[in-house]
Amino acid sequence: MKETLHRIWSMVIKEFLQLSRDKVLMAFVLLGPLVELVLMGTMVGEGVQNLPLAVIDDDRSRASRELIAMVDQSDELLLTTYAENVEQAQSLMQRGKVAAILVVPPGYGDAILDPQRSAEVQIIVDDSNYVAATVAEASIETVAGEIMHDLVANTTTATSGPIETSFVARFNAALDDRPHSITAMLGLIVYQVTLVIAAQSFTRERERGTLEQLRITPMGRMETILGKAIPTLAIGLVDCLLMIGVIAVWFGVPMRGSLPLLLLLTVPFVLAQIGWGTLISLVSRTQQQAILFVFALAMLEVACSGFIVPTTDMPLAMQVIASASSVQHYLVILRGVMLRGAGLGSLWVPSLALAGIASAATALAWLRLRAGLDADSLQQRMRVLWHAYQQRLGQRKAAPRARPTRPTGQRPRLVPEPVRSRVNEIPRRHPRF
Amino acid sequence: MLLKEYRHILREPRTLWMMFLSPAFVLVALSILFASGSGRVALAVWDHDRTPLSRQFTSDLGSDSDFAVVYVSSYEEIEELLVDQRIDAAVVIPAGFGESALDMDAAPLQVILDGIDTLAAGQATGSLMGHTTAFSLKLSKQFATPSPQLLVHSQRAYLDSANKRNSMIPGLIPIVFSLPVMAAALALTRERETKTLESLVVTPVRPLEYLGGKLAAYVTTALIGLIPVWLVATLIFGVPFRGSPLLLVASTVAFLLASMGLAIFIGNLVHSQQTATVIALFVFFVPGFFLAGLIDPIDTTSLVSTGMSHALPATHFVTICRAIFIKGATFAELWPSILSLLGIAAVWLGLGAWTFRKRLD
Repeated sequence: MKETLHRIWSMVIKEFLQLSRDKVLMAFVLLGPLVELVLMGTMVGEGVQNLPLAVIDDDRSRASRELIAMVDQSDELLLTTYAENVEQAQSLMQRGKVAAILVVPPGYGDAILDPQRSAEVQIIVDDSNYVAATVAEASIETVAGEIMHDLVANTTTATSGPIETSFVARFNAALDDRPHSITAMLGLIVYQVTLVIAAQSFTRERERGTLEQLRITPMGRMETILGKAIPTLAIGLVDCLLMIGVIAVWFGVPMRGSLPLLLLLTVPFVLAQIGWGTLISLVSRTQQQAILFVFALAMLEVACSGFIVPTTDMPLAMQVIASASSVQHYLVILRGVMLRGAGLGSLWVPSLALAGIASAATALAWLRLRAGLDADSLQQRMRVLWHAYQQRLGQRKAAPRARPTRPTGQRPRLVPEPVRSRVNEIPRRHPRF
Repeated sequence: MLLKEYRHILREPRTLWMMFLSPAFVLVALSILFASGSGRVALAVWDHDRTPLSRQFTSDLGSDSDFAVVYVSSYEEIEELLVDQRIDAAVVIPAGFGESALDMDAAPLQVILDGIDTLAAGQATGSLMGHTTAFSLKLSKQFATPSPQLLVHSQRAYLDSANKRNSMIPGLIPIVFSLPVMAAALALTRERETKTLESLVVTPVRPLEYLGGKLAAYVTTALIGLIPVWLVATLIFGVPFRGSPLLLVASTVAFLLASMGLAIFIGNLVHSQQTATVIALFVFFVPGFFLAGLIDPIDTTSLVSTGMSHALPATHFVTICRAIFIKGATFAELWPSILSLLGIAAVWLGLGAWTFRKRLD
């Protein structure tokens, strides 16, 4: 046991030495997240604002000017052009100069003052951008609601409409979009940094040719994985802590829950990335491949994280698949603890899910490592097994006594078994490694 | 030189498959997410009034398909549900609601929103407003007081259905094409890391020829990957393709040149592939989702963010892809974006070539 710990410790030191030798990498791993978070956090606005709007006012009455002024004053829309006709406005939209067109038809001013008639306006939105289109529509609807409300108050004898709704936003009274997007960035940055470092752990050794040296050391499988995992875990936690500090101090995002709890729940999140990363680094032959895997995986995880599409909006089958995304659960935890002040009692579901994903990923990596350190060994082993199976079939035909391929009870070794003469008959393309 | 690079790519079938098919595969996976969602608002209702009218209001809410309703009876319960993230909003009907509503006397109704996700909060506000307005109208009809109305006719300019997917898929193309760009960045660093770059120095190949060959190989490989992406978008997901294929190919080349220029520059600055990856992720990945205008439109309120967004090749390419696929835009309408892409490409390729030569000397 003591020896095991000692071996893991030396592996950890070796990894740290290797990392610290690459000054640029160290700088990017430790300071990059902070710089990126600050930059992007400042640049992401408080929400969708000032979408360019073209107006066609065919009515030119006092009421229509009031309507246009109210639309212009809304946060979401900004009046940029008065167009003569719809064709002109639509050619502007085609060039991407305006996101929405408001058409006030002639007779609007008369109709709006007459309680017996209903006034109409038209809005044309550029739906090649879904979010902008939805926001523009909602904004016009809100203005229309306000106008109706004012009219009701003016025309009827009763004070106002029958129901007066007041809205209160909990946790974020100003409905500022930033806490939501900045926490998402924090989760994504921790995710990408830890995944990349883990994904290149074994591939890098293979490309540099140091994997052979690693193989002849007395390190066990679990010891190798742990020795590689601990430095990544440390980096992930330090990054996370630094970034939480930055968003609390710089952006004033509140920390309503307990920081130790958040860090504790960050551990399985980082472990899950280490598991996936190690798995990737074991199945890819070059770092290039590893990175392509990482990128593809990262995109899927981000897509499933509920950041682009709310998870409840997904089709049911996708919701099930998306629940395998560790980012999704981590964002729930992060926002729960930081913004809502949630405790473990409210977060046990995502916490358990994270723990499950982390152990599944680590188990897969461990199984893959069992098959051997090098990228082709799984294929080779499958070929050996297949060949043995074929032989056994052949033997069964000749004599019904099956011969075990390997003496039972012997622990499978880290080093792939020396290729036996039987195996040599199998055509192999490149004897790698 | 070009041939050597092709042979490199072809030698690793795994890399080849990933470069050709992974963009299409990732696009499929991303796009399935955008099936039109139910978008139900999870709602808690506390009826403090308990009059026939308030009961009618809550049962109307319960039968509305926009809402998934749970009933509660205290503020503590609401707070707990909010912290557990099980509801998006809570409606509190105070005592005296029914009485004042029947008197047409501004019956108060309180709505508590979860303010964290502002888009969801906006959706909840809109749905609840719509519901209460409809309810008010029903009430006023009972008393036969005519009220003036303002109808807003909303028309979507290009697509019929309010389906998120058709607008999102063309916007995702730049993101999935960052895969081959990454591969190019790493190819350069790999030569340095495995020390094959030195052996290139002694060959008669000049640095610029070397870079050009590398670039041409990766751009053409990535371009072939455009075919499965295009097939996936139009055939599987039925996104309309209204523009000219030639324009799409041309602007894809411009985009690939711009981002590969940036990738080459990064690759020249660092020694190891690991570092190159970390930097490239910082530059391409997170900003691609947040700043390129894929989800939220570009924030035009501050000059810094507008400038930064326009410095990213992905921003222009998102605009171009959406315009070509959905709007059927022509070159006359898109030349500002394409020119910007070419400008970015020139800057980064120039810087990349310059640093590359300096490194070799």
